[in-house]
Amino acid sequence: MSDFSLMGLKAPTVIFGAALLLLALALPPWFGSYHHYLASLALINIIMAVGLNILTGNAGQISLCNSSFMAIGAYATTYLSVKLGLSYWLALPLGGVISAISGFFLGFPALRLRGFYLAVVTLGFLEVSQILIEQLPGITGGVRGISSPRPALFGHTLSSDLSFYYVILAITLATIWCAYSLLRSPTGRAFEAIRSSEAAAQTLAVPLAQTKLAAFVISAFFAGIGGGLFASLVGFIDPLEFGVWTSVRHVVFIVVGGLGSITGSVVGAIVLTVLPEVLRAFKEYQEFVFGGLLLVVLILLPHGLVGLGPAIRARLTQSDATSVAAAQRGVAE
Amino acid sequence: MSFFSIDNMSVIFGGLRAVSNVSLALGEGEIHGVIGPNGAGKTSLINAVSGLVPMAGGTIHLDGKPLQALPPHRRAAAGIGRTFQHAEIFPDQSVIANVMTGGFAHRQSSLLQDFLGTPGKAAAERQARREAEQMLDAFGLLSFCDALAGDLPFGTLKKIDLARALVGKPRVLMLDEPTSGMNDTEAQEVIAACRRIAGELRVTLLVIEHNMRVIMGLANMIHVLDHGEKIADGTPAEIQRNPLVIEAYLGHGSAAHA
Ligand SMILES: Nc1ncnc2c1ncn2[C@@H]1O[C@H](COP(=O)(O)OP(=O)(O)OP(=O)(O)O)[C@@H](O)[C@H]1O
Ligand SMILES: [Mg+2]
Repeated sequence: MSDFSLMGLKAPTVIFGAALLLLALALPPWFGSYHHYLASLALINIIMAVGLNILTGNAGQISLCNSSFMAIGAYATTYLSVKLGLSYWLALPLGGVISAISGFFLGFPALRLRGFYLAVVTLGFLEVSQILIEQLPGITGGVRGISSPRPALFGHTLSSDLSFYYVILAITLATIWCAYSLLRSPTGRAFEAIRSSEAAAQTLAVPLAQTKLAAFVISAFFAGIGGGLFASLVGFIDPLEFGVWTSVRHVVFIVVGGLGSITGSVVGAIVLTVLPEVLRAFKEYQEFVFGGLLLVVLILLPHGLVGLGPAIRARLTQSDATSVAAAQRGVAE
Repeated sequence: MSFFSIDNMSVIFGGLRAVSNVSLALGEGEIHGVIGPNGAGKTSLINAVSGLVPMAGGTIHLDGKPLQALPPHRRAAAGIGRTFQHAEIFPDQSVIANVMTGGFAHRQSSLLQDFLGTPGKAAAERQARREAEQMLDAFGLLSFCDALAGDLPFGTLKKIDLARALVGKPRVLMLDEPTSGMNDTEAQEVIAACRRIAGELRVTLLVIEHNMRVIMGLANMIHVLDHGEKIADGTPAEIQRNPLVIEAYLGHGSAAHA
C-alpha cells in the first residue's frame, strides 16, 4: 500500500502511465512510417483489450467473438462513410453504437449460459458474423474485401501514418478514461460483484441480467470503435482479419497483461503487438518463440504481467504477509 | 399486519423439507433471533426470503407488500438486506470497494455517467466512499480500507459483510451468524455497533446466531427451528426455560456454543 495516490491509483501505476504517455506523445516523430503504423496497431489493440477485459476480467463473461464486434464496427464505419457519405467522425461512433446493439443481442444467450457453454455460443456468433460478411458483398465487399480510406480532419486527409497515429492515440486515451471511470463506479462494482458471487450481488440489489447485458454492450462498443479505426488504418478489410484467431489474440492480450486490470490490457496489447515484430529475427521459429514466451509468462506470472510490479516490490521491501499475498494475486491496477 | 412477515413458508430440496410451514412476524425496529441445531433450516429460511432458493409455498410481506414473486435483486431493492454465513465477500476487491458495492441500490449516477466519468459521477463516488468509510469505521475496519478482502481472516470478512449490508440501508436485515469467527469481546463489539446503526437507520433485524449469550442479550423475541419446523418462539427468558428447545439441542448432541 503506497502512501501516494492519484485518483485512487497507486504511485507505480501513475508513474508508469505518465512515462508511457510521454513516450507515446514524444517519440513517434523520431521514427518512420512503419513504426507509426505499428504503434497505431498497438493502440487499436489496447482499445480491443480494454473492452474485452471489462467483459471478461471484470464481469466474468467469456467471449470468443470480440473480433466480430471489431468487424461490425469496421464494416459499419466504412459503409456509413464511404457508401453513405457520412463524415468519418460521425460514422466511427455510429459504428461503435451498431456494434454495441449487436452486443446487446449476443448478451441474451449469455444470461442463461456461463463458462464453456457461453464460449461456444460466442464462437457461433463469430461464425455467423463471418458468413454474413461473405454473404453481404453489397455492404462488405464479400470475401474480396473493401477498401476503407483515411478520414480527413479540418480539411486535411490524415494520409500520413503519424497524423492518424495521434488521432488514434487521443481515442485510445478516451477509451482508457471511460474504462477507468466505469471501474470506479456503481456499474463497475456491479460487474465485479456478478463475477465474484452472483448470490451476493443479487442481495445487494444488483440485477444479473441487466448487468451482464451492460457488460456485453460496453465491450462491443469499444470493439466497434477499435474496428472502425482499424479499417481506416490498414485501408482495406476482408473477413479474414476478423476470424477466430483475432479473437483469441484479444483474449491472450488480457490474460498475459492481467485480467480485470486496465494497466494489464495496455501492457498486454503493447507487448504482444510489438513482440512478433521483434521476433521476426527468428524467421520461421517466430511463432514457436512467441508461444514459448506466452507459456513462460503464464506459468511464472499467473496474474499476468501486471502481477510483476507488486511481486518485485514485495521482494525489494520484504514487506508484511498482506502485501506479499497481494503481490501474488497481482492487484496492481 | 406486521411490518415484516413470513407466512407458512416451506423450502424443499429434493425430498428434504429444509423449511416446513414456518411463520414469523416482526414489528418495525424489532430484533428477532432464529436459533436451532445444525441443519435446522435457518439459512434456508433467509435464503428463501432473499429469493436465492425457491419456496415450495408460503408468502413474504414487507410493509404490506408481497415479495415472494419478485426476483432477488428486486427484493433487495425493496429493502431486504442480508449477510452470509460464509461472508460471500468479493475476494479480489478492496475492502472499501466491497462495502461501496453495498450502496448499489442507492447509486446516484447513471450507467452513462459512469461510462463518461462526468463530474456528477465523481461527486456521487466521493459521497459513496465517505459513507462506506464511516461504516467501516463503525466496525473498527477503517485501516483495512485498501486491503484486498481475500487476504483477511474470516472474522474480519464477517464484519465487512455486515458493513456492506448496512450501507444498503435495508429496512429488514437478516444476519446469518454475524459473530462466527470472532472471540467474545469482538462479538460483543460487533453486535453493539450493529445494534446502534440499526437503531439509527430504523432497521428491523432477524438474526441467526449460535452464540447463546449474544442472541439472548440482543433479541426481543426468539424463534426456534428444528428439522425445518418452528418448535417454539418467545422471549429469551421463555426460550431458555422451554423443554422442547432444550430437548432439540441435547437430542442432536450439539449443545449451544454458549
Ligand atoms: N441449496 C441446497 N441444496 C440442497 N440441500 C440444501 C441446500 N441448502 C441447504 N440444504 C440442506 O437443508 C438443510 C437445512 O440447511 P440450512 O443450511 O438451512 O441449515 P442451518 O440451520 O442454517 O444449519 P447451520 O447451523 O449448520 O448453518 C440441511 O440438511 C442442508 O443440507
Ligand atoms: Mg446456516
